[in-house]
Amino acid sequence: MMSKSKDITGLTVAGSKRSGRLSAVKEMPFLVKCALFWLVFIVAAAIYTRLDRLFGQALPLQDPFYQGFLFGGSSPTEGPSLDHVLGTDILSRDNLSRLLHGAWVSIAVATTVVSFGIVVGGLLGAFVGYARGRWETLVMGIMDVVLAFPPLVLLLALVAIYKVRSLPVIALVFGILSIPTYVRIARASTLGVASREFVQAAEAIGTKRVWILFREIIPNILPSLFAYALINAGFVIVVEGTLSYLGLSVQIPEPTWGNMINEGRRDIRQTILPIFWPGLFLTLSVVSLNMLGDWFQQRVAIRSSSL
Amino acid sequence: MLSKVIAARIARLVATLFAVSLLTFLMVEQLPGDPILAILPPEALDDLESIERIRSELRLDDPVIIRYGRWVGNALQGDLGKSYITDQRVSDAIKDRIPVTIELAFLASLIAALAAIPIGAFSAYHEGGRFDRIASAFTTTALSIPAFLAGLFFIWLFTLKFNWLPSTGWSRITDKGILANLKTAILPAGSLALAALAINARLIRADMIGTLKEDYILSARAKGLPSRYILMRHALRPSSLTAITVFGLQFGGLIGGTVVIETVFALPGLGTRLISGIYQRDTMMIQGITLFIATVYVVVNLFIDLLYLVLDPRIRRQ
Repeated sequence: MMSKSKDITGLTVAGSKRSGRLSAVKEMPFLVKCALFWLVFIVAAAIYTRLDRLFGQALPLQDPFYQGFLFGGSSPTEGPSLDHVLGTDILSRDNLSRLLHGAWVSIAVATTVVSFGIVVGGLLGAFVGYARGRWETLVMGIMDVVLAFPPLVLLLALVAIYKVRSLPVIALVFGILSIPTYVRIARASTLGVASREFVQAAEAIGTKRVWILFREIIPNILPSLFAYALINAGFVIVVEGTLSYLGLSVQIPEPTWGNMINEGRRDIRQTILPIFWPGLFLTLSVVSLNMLGDWFQQRVAIRSSSL
Repeated sequence: MLSKVIAARIARLVATLFAVSLLTFLMVEQLPGDPILAILPPEALDDLESIERIRSELRLDDPVIIRYGRWVGNALQGDLGKSYITDQRVSDAIKDRIPVTIELAFLASLIAALAAIPIGAFSAYHEGGRFDRIASAFTTTALSIPAFLAGLFFIWLFTLKFNWLPSTGWSRITDKGILANLKTAILPAGSLALAALAINARLIRADMIGTLKEDYILSARAKGLPSRYILMRHALRPSSLTAITVFGLQFGGLIGGTVVIETVFALPGLGTRLISGIYQRDTMMIQGITLFIATVYVVVNLFIDLLYLVLDPRIRRQ
């Protein structure tokens, strides 16, 4: 929720539509800038740790699997030191390294789900929203049935099927389940856009329907899909964290924020730090996505009302 | 007109329940591993004869469609089968554990509703003011904290730091009375309520901002009524319809959400049984509980939909 003054900046943005991406960042309120910065940091961490694995851990970062109490070098649940900036976990592995490596699962799942939703759900929703008729009734009926499921329970049951819960499997299950909401949003926005003058004009001069769909409708529904996608990404990160916490997501020793919290839970009587760090990373990422999503949604709303 | 809408909704409910049952059955059917491996002790597995006997006793060799039909047919009569592992009837397990889950979901929606109304109303009244900004920061954060993390934090804070409340376990109302019961229920319900509370507060705020601009609010103010009275009597009432719908829809979702929270607080609810069923690959238990939770969710949502329809004539005409 934003205050009045930010609504005004939103309006000026709407006035100068082709102001470019960089100036959009400049016009963000301070906190939203912080949110964007944090997300860039997390995505960078995810990519950096992947590269680190690719090069056989040649990049400057501790090994996330190295257990110091077995091979020397550190002991379990150490406090922060120069070697281990955020201390070590209960198996004396480096916390910072595990946190950064853990970013990968969250980011990868969220990105897959969102792309799935926008591409498959968005196309399907735009198509049935523009074509209308029997297809629309059928597709929306199916989507209603899927949406009528309790999401977390369905996800648990689906995930339980797989013995090997690898990252692609988890991402795919999440992705398919997320499609219905994207279809709904895409269809609703398409219904709004399809009645606009520029679409009627295109129809009047005999432009092909497919052409109108891709040139006129889809570009205009993308912003609202994207705004939802940011919020949805936050939700996906929460759900993946929950499954990880239950031990039903990507399996250990692969670090995820959720399974780090689960491992830290055993020592909660001594110290909260092993829960605190992954909890902080998880929460900050979700807060950032929500803030950015809210901000973007407001911009979209103002833009479409001024169209 | 209304009866036509209701008939259409009920038809959709039946279609949804059919899809839910089919999907649940087929999913669990795909679980790796032969159920025989879970039933028999490892040393009995060499005995091919007894394997065959149990197979035919449980009729595991029938085609999928027949077994699905049998399962649904029995489920309609309240028989969800028996756990292969603990030999417990699934319906007994549900009966035994549902009170905890229902109470948690109910308490959580109550907390979410009661706390959200003042927060949302005052944010709307002081739109853009200091209270509004603090409340907005709170709702954004509360919305972003996973329930299990909030639960762990509450355990750390209220049990380990202040030693006010127990961290795990459940005291039934029938055991030591309602106070002891609430003591064990308040932390899990509170952590479950957090996200719902944030959503409610935001909705009420948005709704009230619109309502406060109406003329009758201005006239109430002109009459010199105190602002608290105006807020609660004049402004909240039209917003209550939105609230009822959202709270109802949340109740279904919260029943799903208890699965995780029960695990965090080690409570004897339906969720912990489902999770342990998943860990043990207890096919019958997973199928039965999933079907049950999904049915409750779908039926509650239908009920709320219909209630809304009856309460708000404007929707009927659309």
